[in-house]
Amino acid sequence: MTTTTASIVEISGLTKVYGSGAAEVRALDDVDLLVPEGQFVTVMGPSGCGKSTLLNLLGGLDTPTAGTISINGTPLGDLPDDQLTELRRRRIGFVFQFFNLIPVLNAVENASLPLRLDGNGEANARATAWLDRVGLGDRLNNRPDQLSGGQQQRVAIARALSTEPALVLADEPTGNLDSKSAGEIGGLLRQVSTDWGRSVLMVTHDPRIASFAQRLVLMRDGRIVDDLMLDGTNEGPRVALERAGLL
Amino acid sequence: MKLPLTLAWRYLRGRGSRSLLTTLAVVFGVMLTFGLNGILPAMVEAFNHNLLSAAGRVDLTVTSAFNQPFRADVVDRMLAVPQVASASPGVQRIVPLPRSADAPPDALAQLVVVGIDLTTVGSVHDFPLAAGRMLTAGDNAAVVLNSDLAGQLALGVGDQLVLPAAGGTARFRVIGLLSSVTVPGQEQVYLTLPAAQQLFGLGARITLVEAAFTAGADRTATEQAVATALGPDYQVGGLSSQSTLLASLQTATFAFNMFGLFALATAGFIIANSFRTVVAERRRDIGMLRAVGTRRRTVIGMFLVESLIQGVIGTALGLVAGWGLAAGLFAVMAPIFENVMHFHVPSPLFSASTWITSILLGVGVTVVAAILPARAAGQVTPLEAMRPQLGGVYERRVGRRAWIGVGTVVASLFGLTTGSSSLVGLGAVVFLVGIALVAPAVVNPISNWAARPLELFFSREGAIARSNLQRNPGRSAITVTAVMLGLASIVAMISIVTSIFVGFTNYLDKSLSADYLLIPQSIVLGQGNVAAGPRLAEDLRSIPGIAAVSTLRITQAKSDGGDVQVIGVDPASYLKVAAFDWNSGSSDAAVAQLGTGRWLIANGVYAAQHRLVVGQAVLLDTPNGPRTYHLGGVGNDYLNAKLSTLYASQDNLQRDFNVTTDMLLMANRTAGADPDATKARVDRVVAGYPAFRLYESSSWRAEQMRTFSQTIVIFDVLVAALALPSLLALVNTLAISVLTRTREIGMLRAVGATRRQIRRMVVAESLLLSVIGTVFGAVAGLWLGYALVAAMSAAGWQMPYSFPWSGLLATVVVGITFGVLAAIGPARSAARLDVVAALHQE
Repeated sequence: MTTTTASIVEISGLTKVYGSGAAEVRALDDVDLLVPEGQFVTVMGPSGCGKSTLLNLLGGLDTPTAGTISINGTPLGDLPDDQLTELRRRRIGFVFQFFNLIPVLNAVENASLPLRLDGNGEANARATAWLDRVGLGDRLNNRPDQLSGGQQQRVAIARALSTEPALVLADEPTGNLDSKSAGEIGGLLRQVSTDWGRSVLMVTHDPRIASFAQRLVLMRDGRIVDDLMLDGTNEGPRVALERAGLL
Repeated sequence: MKLPLTLAWRYLRGRGSRSLLTTLAVVFGVMLTFGLNGILPAMVEAFNHNLLSAAGRVDLTVTSAFNQPFRADVVDRMLAVPQVASASPGVQRIVPLPRSADAPPDALAQLVVVGIDLTTVGSVHDFPLAAGRMLTAGDNAAVVLNSDLAGQLALGVGDQLVLPAAGGTARFRVIGLLSSVTVPGQEQVYLTLPAAQQLFGLGARITLVEAAFTAGADRTATEQAVATALGPDYQVGGLSSQSTLLASLQTATFAFNMFGLFALATAGFIIANSFRTVVAERRRDIGMLRAVGTRRRTVIGMFLVESLIQGVIGTALGLVAGWGLAAGLFAVMAPIFENVMHFHVPSPLFSASTWITSILLGVGVTVVAAILPARAAGQVTPLEAMRPQLGGVYERRVGRRAWIGVGTVVASLFGLTTGSSSLVGLGAVVFLVGIALVAPAVVNPISNWAARPLELFFSREGAIARSNLQRNPGRSAITVTAVMLGLASIVAMISIVTSIFVGFTNYLDKSLSADYLLIPQSIVLGQGNVAAGPRLAEDLRSIPGIAAVSTLRITQAKSDGGDVQVIGVDPASYLKVAAFDWNSGSSDAAVAQLGTGRWLIANGVYAAQHRLVVGQAVLLDTPNGPRTYHLGGVGNDYLNAKLSTLYASQDNLQRDFNVTTDMLLMANRTAGADPDATKARVDRVVAGYPAFRLYESSSWRAEQMRTFSQTIVIFDVLVAALALPSLLALVNTLAISVLTRTREIGMLRAVGATRRQIRRMVVAESLLLSVIGTVFGAVAGLWLGYALVAAMSAAGWQMPYSFPWSGLLATVVVGITFGVLAAIGPARSAARLDVVAALHQE
C-alpha cells in the first residue's frame, strides 16, 4: 500500500523466531507494514497470531530476528538500550491492558511521568492539560485506587500523549473494561488520531472496538492476511474477520 | 522534587508498617554501634575529669611518672622555662572516709586531700570565702572546703574532720567554707602544704606542681619545653597514667563493636529481604516505567534512593536511641562504678569518629543491602508491563554460592584460631558471612528434617508451611541468617560472661586463701590509697590466734614505654596466706626466687602483651634509674587479673622504688583458734586504721560475687538489644510471605481452609524458620564464644572456657518465643483476608 503522506512506521521483512529446532515458533514471518501520520490502525487476529509480538517490536521492547523497523524516520536497528529508552520516552506512547499506573502517584503525577523522566519543567502543566482533554479535569489529584477502570485507562492515555509522541501503541486497551467504558476508550483513541493527529496502532480482540479505527490489519500465523480501510460502522471488522475465516 | 525521590518516598510511605519494620532494624543496629561506643570515651573523659584539677587557671600539671612523691625543687626547674609564669607545689591524695554500717549506699566514700602552698597557690587557684577564714601559715590542724561539700559531710566552721593517716588517724578543724561548687568525684579539702606532707608522711616531698603560662604562650610548645626540662621521670599534662585500665576498656569496646556490627548485619539482611520482595511486587510498575522511557540506571537509582531515605531515617532514630541506650547503661553502671572504683561517670560521650562511624555504617549498610535487589530491578524488561503478574514462585541457583560459603567458613577458622583479637573479630565476621552464603543451599534439606517433629503439632498445616518456606529458599535463608546472627550473639556473649565469671570465681578461691583481709576502701586507683606503715602488720602478727601475716605493697614503673603496676610481696610469708594461679611452666618456686635477687613474676596480661618467657630480662625504669629484672614465672591473682602487673619482693620495692608501706594485708588463723574471739581482737587493732576495712575472706568473696552479678545486669540488657533485630527479621519475612501469597491464601480459604488453619499455617512457617535459625545460631554462637574466650586468654585474661548451658537454654527459649511472637501479626492478617478480594488480587 502506498501513501502520499510521510510514514510514521515503516516495517520491512520483519521476522521474529522464538526457540529453535523442533521447538521453533515463528511469531512473525516476513511482515511489511507502513503506517502514515495520523492514522488509527487496529491489528486483529487469533491468539498467537503475532500481533502482540509486532507491538513489542514496534515499541523497541523486544528485538527482531530479521527485518527492519523505523519509527518516525529513526531505524531501531542497533540502537543501544539508553537511546532506545529515550526514543520510547519521546516518540512513542504506550497504553496497556492493565493500565499500569504507579499506585502511589496521583493522576497528574502518573500522566506526567515520561515528561518528568525527561526533565521537562512544564511536566505538570502539560499533563494537566492532557487530563483535561481526556475528560479527567476534575480527578487530577486522585490516586489509581480512587479511579474506575475507564478513568485509569484515560490517565494512561493522557500519559501516552503527554510527550506529544508520533505513535501511540495500545495493547488490548479495553480488555479489562466493561463495554460502556470500552466504547468510550475506543472513541478517545479515534480522537487521538483524528483531532490530535497521532498515529495509533491498537491490538484488540473486540470487533466493536476495532470499528473505531480507520484501517484494519488482520494477522494469522505471523503473517498479515488482510489489510483494509474501515468505514466507521460496526460491520466492517466483522465482515473482514468472516472473510478471513477468523470468526 | 526529583522523580526518583518522589517515587521512593511515596512507595516507602505506601508500604507503611513494612517500611517501619525494616527501618527499625537499622535503628537497632545504629543504636548498638553508637550507644556502645559512647560509653568508652565517656569513661576516658571521666578519668581525665576526675584526675585533673577541675577549676582554676591551671595550664599544666606535673606529676611523677612513677606516681611517687618528689622533691620541691622541680618548681624552680619549671620556672626556668620562659613561658611558665608561675608554679605552685602541692600534695594531692585520695583518702577513704570511714564508712559506718548504716550509711546510705550513695554516701561519700572518699575525699581528695589537697595540700596547698599558700604563697604561690593564688596564681593558679581562687579560694572565694563564704564563711570563716582562709588558711594561714602555721595552720597545721585546719582545713577549708567548699560549702556544698561541708553540707554533705554535715560539717560547719569549728567542727572536726577526721582523716585516715599513715600512722592511724588525724583530726582537723574546719576554719573556712568556700563558695565554689564541688565537682562530683573531686570532693576536695584543703590543708596547708606542711600539714598535708605530715599527714601522708612525705617529709618535704610533694606529689604535684600546678603551673600557669604567660599570656599568649604557645601551649603545646610550652608543655614540650617543660617536659624536656624535667626529663622522663615526670609526667607533664594530664594524669593519664591509667593506661592499663584503658586497655581493658578497649577490649570491651572491641566486643561492643563486634556485637554492634552483628546487629547492623542483621539489619542489612532484613533490608535486603524487603527489597527483594519489593522488586518482585513491583515488576509490573518497573516494566511500565521502562516502557515509557525510564533508563535502567534511573530504576536502580530509584531503589537506592528508597534505601537511602530509609537509611537516613533509621540512622537518625538510631542515634537518638543509642544515646538513650548509653544513658540507660550509665544509669545502671554508675552506682557500681562509684561504689567499687570511686569514680564518677557523668554521661555518655560521643566522639566525632563515633558519629561518623555510626552514620556511615547505618546509611551504608542500608544502601549496600539494597544494591543487589536494585540491580535486579534494573534488569526487569519493559515486556513485564505487558504480562499478567506471575505467581511468587522463583527458585535461585545456590550451588556455586554455597561452595564459596563453605570456603569462607573454612578460611575464617584460621582467623578464629590465631588468638589475636583483631583477627578473631575479622574471623567472626567472615565466619558469619560464610554461614550466610551456605544457608540457602542447606535451608531446604534442614527444613525437611525439622518439619517432621513440627508436623506432630501441626498435622494438617505443617506440610504447606514447609513448602511455603522451601519455595523461596533465598528469602528463607536470609531470614534464617538474620535469626542466626541475633542468637549467635546471645550464645557467644553468654559464653564469654560465663567464662569470665567462672574464671574469676577460680581466682577468688585460689588467690584469696587468707582468712582475713585488710583492704583500703578504694583499691583500684592505687595512687590514691593511704597505705599503712609496718606497725599494722606487726600488730596483727602479735594477736593471739593469728598464725601468718603477709602484706602487699604497690608502686608503678615504666617498662617498654608503658606503665605497669608493681606489687611487692614478701616471699617468705606470701604462700602461707595466698597463692598464684600459675600459667603452664611456672610454679610456687618462682615466689621463693623473688627473694634471691631482682626477679619478677608477671601476670598473664603483662606477659602476653610483652611476649615474655620465663628467664627473660625485663628492664624497668624506677625512680632510682633503670634496673634489670628477670622473669621467674607467670601467674595471676584475682585483684590484678585485668591490669598489667608485675610482682617483685618487698626488699626490691624498697631498694628501687623507695616503697615501704603496706597496701593490703592478709592473715590466717592458727588451727583451732576461736574465730569470734580472734575476729574481735583483729577488729580492735584495725579500728585505729580507718582507711582499711577488715574482711573475712568468705564475706569478701560474697561481696565480690555480688558486685559481679550486678555487672551481669548490663549484659542482660545488651543481650536483649542484640536479640531484637532477629525478631524483626522474622516478622518481616512472615509479613512478606503472607502478602505475596494473598491470592493463594484466598484460594485455600475458597477450597475450605478455616481461618484457624490459615493462622496455624503461618505460625508453623514461622516456627520452622526460627527453629532452623536457632540451630544455626546456637552452633555458630558456641563456636564464636569459644574462639573469643580463647582470644581473651591468649591476650592474657586467663580464663577457662565454660560451656554456656544457660545461654543455650535462653537461646532456644528466645528462638521459639520469637517464632510464635513474629507470627501473631501476619497470621492474623492472613486469616482475616477477604476471600473474594484476595482471589481477585493481581
